[in-house]
Amino acid sequence: MAPSKAPAGHFSILYFAAASTFTNRANEHLSAPVEARDLFSKLEELYPGIKDKVLSSCAVTVNLSYIDIDGDDAPDLGVVIKEGDEVAIIPPVSSG
Amino acid sequence: MSTTETPSYKPDIPGDAVTQTTENIHIELTPHALDSLAATRFVRSPSAGATVLFIGTTRDSFNDLPVSSLAYTSYAPLAMSTLHTIATTLLAKHALTRIAIIHKLGECPIGEESIVIAVSAPHRQAAWRAGEEALEETKKRAEIWKLERFEGGEGVWRANRDGVMGVKVGEDKCEGGQAGGASA
Repeated sequence: MAPSKAPAGHFSILYFAAASTFTNRANEHLSAPVEARDLFSKLEELYPGIKDKVLSSCAVTVNLSYIDIDGDDAPDLGVVIKEGDEVAIIPPVSSG
Repeated sequence: MSTTETPSYKPDIPGDAVTQTTENIHIELTPHALDSLAATRFVRSPSAGATVLFIGTTRDSFNDLPVSSLAYTSYAPLAMSTLHTIATTLLAKHALTRIAIIHKLGECPIGEESIVIAVSAPHRQAAWRAGEEALEETKKRAEIWKLERFEGGEGVWRANRDGVMGVKVGEDKCEGGQAGGASA
């Protein structure tokens, strides 16, 4: 379930549900550091169309804590994703 | 929002149950059949006059379309933490004696238990309310996803918050997109 440890200079990113379907993978390692405001653009470069179709309705966690990067004034846009961090793309949930 | 999956999709789930148990809270995500009796036994207490048990089972249709099978996947460490927060909050808010929240992961045959919630409290009002709130909060917040597979078709990732049918097959898949960076 958990990905292997990120190699030097990289962070881990986990894709769940619709995000995993779109990227066709459960996780990968991307180069760090990345500022949170640039995360979705970076993913859009790798997976064209993902921003509108998937990410627009997703939340993001860094090391199991949610960050708020929704909108131009969002408080966590300046958060820096560092080497070794675990980022996750969280689509709308559907338990029960 | 929901997105389609191919019929061959296999959920990535832990091989065994993930549990967190304290004196008055039991949280569990498990690939095994849910044991509602065990949940009831956990919350039972001489100081509680009321025990409420909720059992959620998987339905065989969505908007009248026949569902052939379901599977649940989860970001287990985060879902465990979220469920524990929900339980802790309700324990204090309703002065509960004990609470147990257990959710299925992986394949869940139609008609079988996907979630079990048991709460106990000194009196029935608190137990009823807390039981309902625990379910609603779990459905709203726990990082667990349901894949519904329809008869003769692909799977759809359900989203509790919109309750609508997902997009059609193929529309929501990135073709030829290859990631850079080191492969996991």
